[in-house]
Amino acid sequence: MRQGRRFLHKLRNLFQAGKAEADLEREVQSHLEMLSAHFRESGLTDDEARLAAKRAYGSVEFAKELQRDARSWIPIESLLQDLRFALRSLGRYPGFSAVAILTLALGIGANSAVFKVLDSILLRPLPYHRSNEIVQLNLELRSGGTNSTLNVPEFEFLRDHSKTFASVAGLRGSGTMLLKRHGAPNWIHGLRATEGVFGVLDVHPALGRGFEQDDTRPGSPQVAVLSDALWRSTFGADPGAIGQQIELNDSTYTVVGVMPRDFRFVGSPADIIIALPLSNGIVDTGLNTQVIARLKPGVTMAQAQANVDGEFAALRSEGRSPSSQRGIRLESYQTWLAGDLRTSVLVLFAAVSFLLLIACANVASLLMARATSRQREVAIRLAIGCGRAHLIQQFVMESFALALGGTIAGVIAAGMTLRVLLPSIPWNVSAIGLGGVDARMVWFTLGLTLVTTFLFGIASYWQVSKLSPSVFLKGGVQQAGQQRARRLLVMGEVAVAAMLLVNAGLLIETLYRLHQQRLGFEPEHVVTMTTVFEQKQNVLEFEKEALRRIQAIPGVSSAALTSGLPLSGPDNLPTQQEGRPEHSIGGMEYRAVSPDYFRTMKIPLLRGRAFQQGDNGSAVPVAIVSESVARAWWGSENPLGGRVVVGQYQGRAFPEVLERPRQIVGVVADVKNLAMDEADPATVYVPAEQLPRSQTSAAWVVRTEADVPLGAELRKAVLTVRPDQRILEIEPMTEIVARSIARPAFNASLMAVFGGLALLLTGIGIYGLLSFQVERRRREVAVRIALGAKRLAVISMVVKETLVLMLMGIAAGSVGAFVLGRLLASFLGELWMSEPFVYFGVAGILLFVGLIASYLPARRASGIDPVRSLRYD
Amino acid sequence: MSGRDKSRGDVLQGTLDLIILRVLGTMGPQHAYGIAARVQQVSGDSVLLKQGSLYPGLVRLEQEGWIVGEWKKTENQRDAKYYKLTRAGTKALAAESERWRRSAGLIEKLLEEN
Repeated sequence: MRQGRRFLHKLRNLFQAGKAEADLEREVQSHLEMLSAHFRESGLTDDEARLAAKRAYGSVEFAKELQRDARSWIPIESLLQDLRFALRSLGRYPGFSAVAILTLALGIGANSAVFKVLDSILLRPLPYHRSNEIVQLNLELRSGGTNSTLNVPEFEFLRDHSKTFASVAGLRGSGTMLLKRHGAPNWIHGLRATEGVFGVLDVHPALGRGFEQDDTRPGSPQVAVLSDALWRSTFGADPGAIGQQIELNDSTYTVVGVMPRDFRFVGSPADIIIALPLSNGIVDTGLNTQVIARLKPGVTMAQAQANVDGEFAALRSEGRSPSSQRGIRLESYQTWLAGDLRTSVLVLFAAVSFLLLIACANVASLLMARATSRQREVAIRLAIGCGRAHLIQQFVMESFALALGGTIAGVIAAGMTLRVLLPSIPWNVSAIGLGGVDARMVWFTLGLTLVTTFLFGIASYWQVSKLSPSVFLKGGVQQAGQQRARRLLVMGEVAVAAMLLVNAGLLIETLYRLHQQRLGFEPEHVVTMTTVFEQKQNVLEFEKEALRRIQAIPGVSSAALTSGLPLSGPDNLPTQQEGRPEHSIGGMEYRAVSPDYFRTMKIPLLRGRAFQQGDNGSAVPVAIVSESVARAWWGSENPLGGRVVVGQYQGRAFPEVLERPRQIVGVVADVKNLAMDEADPATVYVPAEQLPRSQTSAAWVVRTEADVPLGAELRKAVLTVRPDQRILEIEPMTEIVARSIARPAFNASLMAVFGGLALLLTGIGIYGLLSFQVERRRREVAVRIALGAKRLAVISMVVKETLVLMLMGIAAGSVGAFVLGRLLASFLGELWMSEPFVYFGVAGILLFVGLIASYLPARRASGIDPVRSLRYD
Repeated sequence: MSGRDKSRGDVLQGTLDLIILRVLGTMGPQHAYGIAARVQQVSGDSVLLKQGSLYPGLVRLEQEGWIVGEWKKTENQRDAKYYKLTRAGTKALAAESERWRRSAGLIEKLLEEN
């Protein structure tokens, strides 16, 4: 109890040291007064009495020390005092403090925000039970490379016969679907999956049931499981929803279950899960099914891989795979999901680390400069007996105060960064589950700030305090070592900034090229519309009539149909050159198009002709191939007249998809039919009228002369012909393209932001550093001017020296950027052009910054009256 | 009083505290100068107690709650901080005095043994 009482008193005195000190002083004075009064009474004069009193009293400071010892905890009080002192002295140089804190905030705050993104994507496990057991099955293609989808027979084999997995699921996203049930229809995201999906994710419906294998048999009644949110919004959380029917894209589904509230599918947003009807039908022999699986507990990835390799070999020997690819490669599902996300994020992390380096260099130089400018103060204090340890302690407190300020500012900056960053991330943020600032991030920021500030602060002060005080008291000589250190710092900062900027520039350039050149078609002024059909409908007449009407719309220059838009996903079939089994492709992209397709999309026709009205069902089957096919199968010979067989592969025929051989009548340029960052796939085009099976959907492309809003007109044209026609989506082709390059575009813009920040920070850092350097040389400058040098000459001398320094830094940085670019190129697999233009541009910008950063302080230094300069020191 | 550490350094501390408490007990509210003067007087100038040495004791006693300090004016209209015993202090004085006598007596007896 009593200990506690004293403790409280001590605590209070700790924080009210000022008051306690004042009280003490007052008491001491009062005693001294009384003592001198006493001596005065004994007959001494006022002055003598005061002296005698002081002598009698003894050492005032010693007495005070004793009191302080008793009233609180000395070491802590000393620390607090130092902290207060530190804050005060930081406050005396608001420019320095502001810049230091801002630099820390930008460099470290931004870093921790990106760190958090990285952490969430790569480090945190998926929100499923033991998610490290979930694997993605990739197909190793004979032609090299891997595919993330398999075909149905392969999937079924794995599901039925593989001993390696606890469960296996086949997935096929279905994108947006139109849900209709009492009242306004709305668009939802659906996931088509087999019954294994619940086992693989180890999440089961909270209400009702999941799927059974029967549900995936073609012809079975279609069933679906709702997400919790969808259940609430559509059925008002009514448990009687089970067994009810809903209409999705014109088909009827029975609701059999509802997922738990906290479930979310990380691969894509899924409001509803539909049982995927598997069949060896037309759609399914292609590589169209994504397969994920859960390993049996205790089985490692390596073991599983070995098992699967064996099983797959068995599959091949049985001849049951229509695409005898090389094998199946397992990959952690989480890693696969991150995919090229991972490289993007790592690149960002690298960029942000550079930024951090620059920020640290800035802070380091700031602290060093400050330490140097206080050399005299330090020397004097050392000379009058302040222990070096105590001096270091004071500077530690300063660094700590800076670090604290920097951390707070950094966390705020990180929060702001995230708020801006998150909505613009083009990938599936739901998979990441990011919130705002969290504890880990704060710790990271704090740790980083402390490390940088302490490291540089202590280092510089240690250096300073080591120097002999007498040197400074005599005249303030600058150490050569520090000079070199500062030079190196400038060069280093410039080099790192150069690297960042060059890479940002290259990335932007690559993006520009990506955007411009490699589409294979021209998306501007093209509007797309997607429609779905019932299985049994006869669409040809409808399509022809609707096309006619669309072409009649004013402003339309041409219109066409295709079975699949570019950049909208795969639709492939095994295809072989007639009579040449070795010329086979397991999954050649297959597109059924109307005659005007190439003209509308402005896809260059390289040889032969486009389709015509005459290429109908009763005419000779024809085809047009992409140029990569022509090159691969016919080399330099003319492919026209040659024949391809869809549905044939390496001499084997697949009856469900086998078509009559088609004669090649034309060759078109390669088109990015799949994705922007994938190679142009081999494609075969057939006339829509010669499509041997009924279509389930069609995409319309309409080119207009200018950007005309066509939505209503298109709808009218279609609905006039068939009033109940389902129209899914009407959007400009440019938007589809934009979505496709969203990711590299995001990367590039982020890099640009980092580059800009780097430039800003470097500029500030260099300016500060040079300012300081020039200040130090004030004397030299003053002497020169006093001796008659022209002001301009002096300024240009300083500027020239700086530019030389910067050039060296830029050179070093450019080399570094080049090396880095090469590394990243192999890593990213993208084409990183070494554009001299970018290098020169960056060099120019940095030199310009250096020019300004050195000119201004030089001008200021030389502008002062030389006499004042010389005297002022 | 139990729980007080009676190590060597603290014997001096304890002595000082007791001195202060006693002086205040007999003289009533007094400032540090007055306490020191009194000690000097009683000891017949054999103990020269500097005011400074009193401070730690005064702080301790104040923190323990046995004395309380208040700024007042002396007869000569000077500022001085007067300390006085609290009720707990009075009790403590009695207890400490008792303990001192006991330990002093014990030491005395031990020293007498030959």
